[in-house]
Amino acid sequence: MNVTKVLDAKGLACPMPIVKTKKAIGEIESGQVLEIHTTDKGAVKDLAAWTESTGHELLKHEDDNGVLKFWVKKG
Amino acid sequence: MKEMTAKQVAEFVIEKKDLFILDVRNESDYRDWKIEGEKVESVNIPYFDLIDGVGPALEKLPKDKQILVVCAKEGSSKFVAESLEEAGVANISYLQGGMKSWSEYLYKAEVYRDENVKVYQFIRVGKGCLSYMVVSENEALIVDPSRFTGIYEEEAAKDGVKITHIVDSHLHADHISGGKELSERTGGKYYLMRSEGATFDFNALEEHDEIVFEEVKLQVLAVKTPGHTPGSVSFFVNDKLLFSGDTIFVGGLGRPDLGGKVAEWAQDLFNTVYEKVASIADDVIVLPGHYADLDDEMNEEGFIGDLLGNIRSRNELMQNKNKEEFVDMVVANANTETPPNFEEIVAINRGVIKAEAEKQQELEIGPNRCALHHTH
Repeated sequence: MNVTKVLDAKGLACPMPIVKTKKAIGEIESGQVLEIHTTDKGAVKDLAAWTESTGHELLKHEDDNGVLKFWVKKG
Repeated sequence: MKEMTAKQVAEFVIEKKDLFILDVRNESDYRDWKIEGEKVESVNIPYFDLIDGVGPALEKLPKDKQILVVCAKEGSSKFVAESLEEAGVANISYLQGGMKSWSEYLYKAEVYRDENVKVYQFIRVGKGCLSYMVVSENEALIVDPSRFTGIYEEEAAKDGVKITHIVDSHLHADHISGGKELSERTGGKYYLMRSEGATFDFNALEEHDEIVFEEVKLQVLAVKTPGHTPGSVSFFVNDKLLFSGDTIFVGGLGRPDLGGKVAEWAQDLFNTVYEKVASIADDVIVLPGHYADLDDEMNEEGFIGDLLGNIRSRNELMQNKNKEEFVDMVVANANTETPPNFEEIVAINRGVIKAEAEKQQELEIGPNRCALHHTH
């Protein structure tokens, strides 16, 4: 996958992972991909709901030894 | 910024005081499970829609009510509440510890007192689970303890009594039992039906028709059908109090579908209701293991329970049905919604798997579906 930007939000509690994701997505172009790393388990549902409500696309997510990784394509 | 504790929220719910909740979790979590009460009104706007400004929330908030912002753990609700306060909203606070602490809070109510015994009910308001402490002279018995064992120890210490007996009316599927841990911490004997399949050491209720201590005589009302799992045991204390576990609720009868053996369970329930409970007097107080709707099921004295006679008179199923009719009606009313994570919770309660506190917390988060749909 062609990732334009990687956001490290590890160790941050809700709402910061989404606050930072919003800011980071503002810095890339439509169609580009943002990769997000977080350790906040609430992010799984929240990022899915957020991308849906904002028109971005959550391409996939995975759990890499406790680090949750998300790939979001800007809408 | 003011915070509100789960205890304070429980007081709003129980005392039926006006509270307006702005729930900032994602929509699916809100739909699944939220804080409810007769005078509790709530609206859901996910926090991520309020990061750039609280405008969408401002127009929905009433001017004349206490407002509480709620999220999963606390962080987002604090963030939103602060932004709203800056925008000029008064009477606003956030829920300390979020829905996690709401799920865990136990509200204590005194339900009964005579010269021999005193009974307290612990209402887990966020989940609808009930546990009890029966105090007599210098000892206490705990019925269906939650995993917050410290609370029972504290309350026993306040009354200056020692926890000597702990009973589980059934193997819980909706919450993790504190029975084994409480027994280890206090030295109290822990009783459970052997047929429920626990893998650790305990006292099998099959071998105890009665548990006697101080001025308490507890009769174990079990339908001992060999060969299959009973749904739930009831405990009848001093011919006055019926701890009905998962069989009889204030609003109806238990739901027999969790084991996937609806008809079998329904027959046990029939035997319990028509053989064991039928001979019990109308003025006995029924104290169940769950409730579905606090406002409907809490009585004027402020606890969840009712006289057996009242429950019988409201419930057609308990009135002169034959076994076949009864089973048919119960089966027809069975539903397939299960409590969240019930398979893992059952495995933990059997001692088959172990889980750290954080994992236990996660598994228990969410609604209680054991008593959601009572069978009328």
